[in-house]
Amino acid sequence: MTTVNLAHLRRALAVRGLTPATVVPEASGGRSEEACIRPARLVEDERLDWHPVGDAEPWPGTLAFLDGVQRSQVLAYAGSAPIVVGEVAAAVRERRDRRLVTVLEERSLLAIGRPEALEAAGELPSDLRTVSLPTDEPPHPVRDLVNAARALDRARGALELALGERYRRRSDGWLLVDGALTESPRWAADARMVGISKSHATLPFDGADLDRYLRLPQGRRSSVYTPETRSLTPVCEWALRLWPWEGKDVFHGLVRVEVAPETATPEIADRLSRWLLAERAPLSTPDRRWDRLLYGIHSVEGYLRAGGSRLG
Amino acid sequence: MSQRMTPLGRVVATELKPSTPHQFHFWTARDTPIGIGAIVRVEDAGRVVFGVVTDGFAYSDLVTPMHAVIGADGDPAAADLEPSQRPEIRLFTAAVLRQIPEEPVQPVPLGAVWLATDEDVVLALRMDAYTGGERPTGIPVGLYAAGGLESPVFLDCDFLLGPEAAHLNITGVSGLATKTSAVEFLLGSIFQTFPSHKGSVAALCFNVKGPDLCFLDQPATLSDEDRRQYARLGLRPEPFEDVHYYAPFKADGVNLNTLRTNEALAANTHPLVWGLREVLDYAEVVLNRDDVDAKADAFIDFLAERVVGRDYQDDMLRGKPFHVQSFADLEEFFRSIFDFMEALAKGGEVWKTHHLATIRKVRNRLSNISTRSKGLVTDDGAAHDLPWGAFADRSVHVVDVAGLDPLAQDLVFARIVSKLREHLERRDLGVDHVVVFVDELNKYAPADGADTYVRKMLLDLSERGRYLGLVLFSAQQFRSQVQRRVVGNAGTAVFGRMDMDELSTPGYATLSPATRIKLATLPKGELMVRHPHFTQPIFLKFPRPAVLNSREAIERFPPTIELPFADAVARQLRNLDRRVSTDAVRSLIDGRREEDVRRALGATRRERPADALAFFTACLGRRVNGEVVAARRGVPAVKRSDDGYGF
Repeated sequence: MTTVNLAHLRRALAVRGLTPATVVPEASGGRSEEACIRPARLVEDERLDWHPVGDAEPWPGTLAFLDGVQRSQVLAYAGSAPIVVGEVAAAVRERRDRRLVTVLEERSLLAIGRPEALEAAGELPSDLRTVSLPTDEPPHPVRDLVNAARALDRARGALELALGERYRRRSDGWLLVDGALTESPRWAADARMVGISKSHATLPFDGADLDRYLRLPQGRRSSVYTPETRSLTPVCEWALRLWPWEGKDVFHGLVRVEVAPETATPEIADRLSRWLLAERAPLSTPDRRWDRLLYGIHSVEGYLRAGGSRLG
Repeated sequence: MSQRMTPLGRVVATELKPSTPHQFHFWTARDTPIGIGAIVRVEDAGRVVFGVVTDGFAYSDLVTPMHAVIGADGDPAAADLEPSQRPEIRLFTAAVLRQIPEEPVQPVPLGAVWLATDEDVVLALRMDAYTGGERPTGIPVGLYAAGGLESPVFLDCDFLLGPEAAHLNITGVSGLATKTSAVEFLLGSIFQTFPSHKGSVAALCFNVKGPDLCFLDQPATLSDEDRRQYARLGLRPEPFEDVHYYAPFKADGVNLNTLRTNEALAANTHPLVWGLREVLDYAEVVLNRDDVDAKADAFIDFLAERVVGRDYQDDMLRGKPFHVQSFADLEEFFRSIFDFMEALAKGGEVWKTHHLATIRKVRNRLSNISTRSKGLVTDDGAAHDLPWGAFADRSVHVVDVAGLDPLAQDLVFARIVSKLREHLERRDLGVDHVVVFVDELNKYAPADGADTYVRKMLLDLSERGRYLGLVLFSAQQFRSQVQRRVVGNAGTAVFGRMDMDELSTPGYATLSPATRIKLATLPKGELMVRHPHFTQPIFLKFPRPAVLNSREAIERFPPTIELPFADAVARQLRNLDRRVSTDAVRSLIDGRREEDVRRALGATRRERPADALAFFTACLGRRVNGEVVAARRGVPAVKRSDDGYGF
């Protein structure tokens, strides 16, 4: 894989009359979600309850972790329209004899901009895949940057999906995904895939249930529920408190576990929760999300970031 | 340069730990054969860099130990149950040994790292400059071993025995097969591989303690591993062929003061006996510790130049000339001076400008030498010395001073080294190079204390000996306690297992902590070598010397218990002539004065006649039987009478 020399590229674009830029957009590091409540339907218990899951148990069999990273920066402006270069990467690391080894990895470089801006840039290096932004609204640099970030998100999601599919073709072991399974109907139906969400921007309950949901004690899970909004890719979820939250924050150590509906029995939820409790260690420090970030996922991120950027 | 193996590591450089022209860092897999002292090769973009590993680090992605505690819920046992192991790094620091090309001098590139092969070791240690070509000068010193590879390492004899650099110093704690074993092995190696175009070489070893060097001519029982190492180094596992032992007598003048007294080894064990002349030439050695001042020095010079060994005539003292050749003659000379001065009574305090007190002081000091060095110094003036002028190529001469008084040790040491120097200056020693091995250097050239003759002589030897072919191989337990210039002049330094206290002294500050720890835990038969061609110290192993070690030797050749006077004399004579029987000698010397017997024995030893007993008998002379003197008859008393006048 070759590195794209951005300094050279900027000089070439300047020759073509574009305005070189070097700013890193605010949302370059990952997706951002709007805070909202999307009510869910309980599939276990009459009302939201807490369930002790028991002591942590080691995950049996093969376990792999899937995650992706992204980074971007503004390359130049064609008039007022930004051209953003981004890099997305995803990898699957499998645990073998307690050691995590990378079994799949994919990286991709993107040039994102409005079609006219990309056209003004002329021929870009072949390693840069161009992604055109929608033109249904008039150019606005801030909106274009937000749209570029979403496009980068989608590209990363697509890369993760592709890698997840490839992993499933080579192994029927457990695959833990950072985020939701609803990205793909096939994932949502896979009995040996588990999605772990650290983000709680979208909450499944409100009122007293929300209080109960957020005050989940350590070592317990919530009742299993299904998000009403996921009709195309139905999944079941429950919340699991990995670490005591008292004195810290209601979200401290709280993760949302997502599985295929047919595997969402209370027994399986308890078992998976016990296995997940065992995955608390080693800690994912120094990541500030260590209370919710499983070490395997942290390891994938670390691996991808350590690989260095191809945007030179 | 071919890359026959897979790389074992990769150079890394960060802003905090950058590569420099003299140091670099590289990481390896967790299971790596690389350790402290390993030689590695880095290749990148036409540049090859050789380095030696000086330090190692391992760490994981754990930020603080507290996170490990939290992750394990405070239970150390639970830490092993963590489902995933943190990644660990094996990060090594290496010091650059050589860069190819040498110019321009640049930081080490971020290339792949390989374990050094035999060819790499040759290049890394710059041995290609002296192990190949038409006139190689390499001397095998040991095997560099790492990662299953084993490469012979050579010293350059031009830098070991001169003239470019010279001398070797060994430091190591006692009893861990470093100092004596390494010297024995290296001397063997020198004797087998010293190139003919460099001339001839001999060794002179001072045995200063126990039986350490007393059995260099006896073969050791070597293990297969030792033999394999000898073969790898291209050496024959053989003891020294031409070894001569010299030891002074004990106070009785007939039993040798050494542990090599087993009769089976007597053939090449010779007495070391010196007379007044030999001692007086080195009077400074034995007198400088005391309060001998310039006046005493002047009187000693007077004795040396005008009295000893000459006919000295002074009619004031006595009518016939003095012929001072022994301590006994000297005592007679002194007695005459004192008698003369006493006769002068008051006012007689100066003799030939020398004050009586000075004369008395010199007389006391010199007589003290013959008393404290009894056995080494003979009263009768006849010496039995090393074969000055007849040193043979590849011969070893061991002088056993272990049982001597420190004063006598200094005397032996100073005189022998001075004689070596004199003969090498005149090029008439018999060989071109002599290796002098001195153990316990901290005793003879201490860092602190008085500037003795021996220390000055060692310093001179270390600074100028290489021009003469006089090479000092020295050893001590604590290098920091030896005069800095003496050890500093050693071109080659060898370090065995070291004491941590010693390693914490400033002299070892240039070594990395890991290297110091390795030195403190070195197993038997391993050492670290510094040599002018090696830009960094190198760890090596060497096989057991092919000579019998002292412990086994003492069991196989137990020292003979001190023999009665007559038996010891018989044995001395038997060394010259196997036909001599103890009974014959016993009856021959029965009733004789021991001084006379010793004198006759010394003469026989010097002459080495075909019929030793006959010569010895002749030297003893006719027995003078005691004569009973009849009581003298007294003069009869004068008869008393009334006449008081006897009439």
